[in-house]
Amino acid sequence: MRGFAHSIVETIRHPFLILDGGLCVCEANAAFYLTFQADEAETVSHLVYELGGGQWDIPRLRELLEEVDRNGGSFKDVEVRHDFPHVGIKVMVLDAHRVVHDDGTPMILLAIEDVTDKMQGIDALYKLNRELDDRVGERTAQLEAANRELEAFAYSVSHDLRAPLRALDGFSDELLRSYADKLDDRGQHYLRRLRSGTQRMGQLIDDMLLLSRLNRGEMKRELVDLTALAEGVVAELRGREPDRTVAFVIESGLSAVGDAALLGVALENLLGNAWKFTSKKLSATITVGRQTHEGAPAFFVRDDGAGFDMDHISKLFGAFERLHTQREFPGNGVGLAIVQRVVHRHGGLVWAEGVLGHGATFHFTLPQEELI
Amino acid sequence: MSDKIILLVEDNEDDEELAVLAFERSRIANAMIVVRDGQEALDYFFGTEANGGSDAKALPQLVLLDLKLPKVGGLEVLKRLRADPKTRRLPVVILTSSKEEEDMLNSYDFGANSYVRKPVEFDRFAEAIQQLQMYWLVLNEAPTSGGDRS
Repeated sequence: MRGFAHSIVETIRHPFLILDGGLCVCEANAAFYLTFQADEAETVSHLVYELGGGQWDIPRLRELLEEVDRNGGSFKDVEVRHDFPHVGIKVMVLDAHRVVHDDGTPMILLAIEDVTDKMQGIDALYKLNRELDDRVGERTAQLEAANRELEAFAYSVSHDLRAPLRALDGFSDELLRSYADKLDDRGQHYLRRLRSGTQRMGQLIDDMLLLSRLNRGEMKRELVDLTALAEGVVAELRGREPDRTVAFVIESGLSAVGDAALLGVALENLLGNAWKFTSKKLSATITVGRQTHEGAPAFFVRDDGAGFDMDHISKLFGAFERLHTQREFPGNGVGLAIVQRVVHRHGGLVWAEGVLGHGATFHFTLPQEELI
Repeated sequence: MSDKIILLVEDNEDDEELAVLAFERSRIANAMIVVRDGQEALDYFFGTEANGGSDAKALPQLVLLDLKLPKVGGLEVLKRLRADPKTRRLPVVILTSSKEEEDMLNSYDFGANSYVRKPVEFDRFAEAIQQLQMYWLVLNEAPTSGGDRS
């Protein structure tokens, strides 16, 4: 039986000690000798606390073993950390059982799992996490600083560019009014071209500023009534050009989660475009509704106006890219770039289809549930 | 038509000329005095005859005050005007290109009567000037004397 028990103990991969009633080592296995760099002569028959020249005189171990010794029983999963003079810091998980040998003698079985490497791995992971956190914090601060600089730049550019624009606009206006008789037709024509140029420049500056502002700033996340927003835009469009005949079909109950101000800007641009590109027709129809696209709701704005050639679809959403000349339809080419930015910031997708001469449809998805 | 004076505090030459042009178009004749920075504005009200002060001269009916001025800024001028009994009740309209919300709030906090942003398009600018003129010089009643009720 002794040989059998001995074989079992030897086969156990973890360090294992068998102690007698007086806490002296009866037997230790090869794993023990290897882990703690000891040999049989200095281990067997020694009091457990004397092992390794006193290395094992660990207060916590004393506590635990004396407890078991007194009350019998066992302990499990007890973590003990100790700095062994020759072996270094070891973190061990101990199990101990008090058993009674067949012949009545009490014994304590002590199983030791060396988890030092695992613990070091965990420590290293924590340290890495903290470092990463710090680095992310630094990067975020850098990005925020860069963003603020960019915004200040955009603001000052647009603000400072406006002043001379006003001068260009004002003096050319005065020239046209009070000095028209001194200019021939061609001269007046050039002046008018000058004025329209300054007006376009003013619009461009405003668009650039809006585009740059769309990237930053906190977005609100609330339930937005898209139907109401659309109806507001329509009322404004009609107010600007009351003589136009345009039928609007706006589906009721359209809603999404997002920033009402930003979504308003997107709708203004989509509906404004639809209004603009149907301006050459005697009467037009513009529809705002919702469909299902790949299982999710997708909103659309459709018009039956000038449409566009699908060959040029890649230019459609580019900032300052246009598919028409100023003479055909005025504009700067930022409207759709703005729509795309807004939709993307909401985590949605935007795409379009068109048929030259027949109309265009712009689709976009938006989140439906509030993210908790 | 009147001896009502408008004081325009404006450092930008173009904006000054455009404002004058706008006033001329309105056909309501007002004497317009232009000062070009904050210090000149303060000298006009508080200085001696030697450095541009007006002493017992009539106060303007309306002050059009830009915010971004060299030497002494518009807000500082406003504060000083409101601190002195002689000029405390003077109608002051801030006329600025600034779109900063903070500028507007500060202007009202320091006692401006009105805050107008200069439009880029000239005809809207001219219209704004004319509206200001009609309101502040014709419709609005301004106190004729200074801050003490004597």
